[in-house]
Amino acid sequence: MMTNEDLVRDLRLSDGAARRPYLAGISCTRLASFAFTALALGTVGALTLIFILQSLPVWQDEGIGYLTGGKWFYRVQTFGALPMIYGTLTVALIALLLAAPIGIGAAIFTSEFLPARVRLAVKITIELLAGVPSVVYGLIGILLLRDWIYELFARFDLLSGDTLLTAGVLLGVMILPTVMTLADDALRSVPAEQRRAARGLGLTATETVLAVTIPQAGRGLIAALLLGLGRALGETIAVFLVVGRQDNNLPANIFSPRAWLESGQTLSSKLGGSETNIAYGDPLHWAAMVGLALILMTMVLAATIGGAWQRKTKYAPSI
Amino acid sequence: MRRASNVIFPALCGVCALLACALLVGLVFVIAQRGVPALSWTFFTDQMRQVGSAGGIFYNLLGTLILIAAALVISAPIATGLALTQAVYLRSASARSRLGLFLYTLNGIPSIVFGIFGFIVFVKFFGWGKSWLIGGILLALMILPTVTVSLIERIRALPRKYIEAATGLGLRQSQIIWSVILPQSWSGLITGSLLGLARAAGETAPIMFTATIFAGASLPHGIRESPVLSLPYHIFILAQDSFDPGVGAKLWGSALVLLMLVFALSMIALPFRLRLHDEAHA
Repeated sequence: MMTNEDLVRDLRLSDGAARRPYLAGISCTRLASFAFTALALGTVGALTLIFILQSLPVWQDEGIGYLTGGKWFYRVQTFGALPMIYGTLTVALIALLLAAPIGIGAAIFTSEFLPARVRLAVKITIELLAGVPSVVYGLIGILLLRDWIYELFARFDLLSGDTLLTAGVLLGVMILPTVMTLADDALRSVPAEQRRAARGLGLTATETVLAVTIPQAGRGLIAALLLGLGRALGETIAVFLVVGRQDNNLPANIFSPRAWLESGQTLSSKLGGSETNIAYGDPLHWAAMVGLALILMTMVLAATIGGAWQRKTKYAPSI
Repeated sequence: MRRASNVIFPALCGVCALLACALLVGLVFVIAQRGVPALSWTFFTDQMRQVGSAGGIFYNLLGTLILIAAALVISAPIATGLALTQAVYLRSASARSRLGLFLYTLNGIPSIVFGIFGFIVFVKFFGWGKSWLIGGILLALMILPTVTVSLIERIRALPRKYIEAATGLGLRQSQIIWSVILPQSWSGLITGSLLGLARAAGETAPIMFTATIFAGASLPHGIRESPVLSLPYHIFILAQDSFDPGVGAKLWGSALVLLMLVFALSMIALPFRLRLHDEAHA
């Protein structure tokens, strides 16, 4: 297969520049391509700049307390985002605890133990299911999962079925296809020679997976989890519908799973609520809301870029 | 011991795979089972009545189609420009990989952030109010990485001899792009767009503050202050007070229609993707 470099070289040879140097590199197509690229880059640049600038007042007013403060009362102009950061991280953690073992286990099965044809069919189904809109997950959550959680944990005296756990479980199911299909890609990209060599040494299929395939695909598997995490952190609608949207609910012990059974608020569910419309008139309140979006974006991008970076896997060379 | 582990481990993984498939297929089954009774011809052709507990979803479906059509029209030229820049024009490998990272980053931005961005820039700063066009722009921005990457992959997979033949004929670079590269790789654009639109059709967060309302809109009449109804927002609002059983039936019906729309878009993309898959492994 032809590489990108070849394509570029071939095109450069055919460029009018070779014959007519004064025309070097100028064409409408090129100008339009660069203009559209600049437009896309500029929009994202503007987005980042606007979020930083519009959130400045709250950073000046609250300082670091904006990140560490536990109280958010906009009527008295107190803005602390910690309960929402806690909510976002907790919900994503529950989702990952659920999706990681099931997703990677399923990926090992499809990539290592299924014949290629069946694997393709399973993969297509899973990728199709990855496209189920989040509002549909939210609907399932609000009409079914909420009641199940309420009944299942009845002995803990839940106030309602709208809990961090409900949101986390729902998110876990949502990111499952993403984790599974990316983990499958990572495992498949380990060269077949390595598996054959391991089998030739007398390892069983299971030992080959555990001793060769998984260590080789390790970075790819971590990437799959990080990209799934990124999706879970940023998800809005499904979480909004089942998390309870209870402000200022920061548990005394943030590591206690008992707190998972209470309502909470995440960064995204706060942004998706009606407070966004109310806040616009008041510069400080609006800055606090935009600041939440900035924190959310930073968290998601850290996970996503980390995942992208991990994905550039280097395998041991095959002989 | 070794033999036992060689049975237990695959079985354990198989259970995971089965569980994953059962969860997801079960979910679709639940929607289908509860949504089918609501479907009828008038459900598609009638407008919403009595705050969603009667009537159909004509304008909601139409609104969603308008939004994704706008997203398609806006994203296609920009994605083509980005793909040509990345795959053809940029000559240094580091610049290409930086543009790739940019696409990754854009793909990672949460949808609600796009919604707030659109709210600040278009709704308030430009003073457009809620408008279908803002929804189209934001959704286009969201699907841009999917469309671009799909097109780039297609361009890279072009057989070398095509370019060589075109070079031999003395074509200039831009002529090669228009007569060889783009005609041969348009399926990448189609596939990427379909997959992107499948995602865009179900998005609620970017359009809820910028482009869509729950009731009282039909066809858009301009740009300023012309929101549309939409399926995801319809479901989102109804789901929050779904105690009326009449609403319940319509709600599941709407969810089923949205799900069918999303699946239809990804299914149309499937043959293109499989062909690419076959060629890559031939």
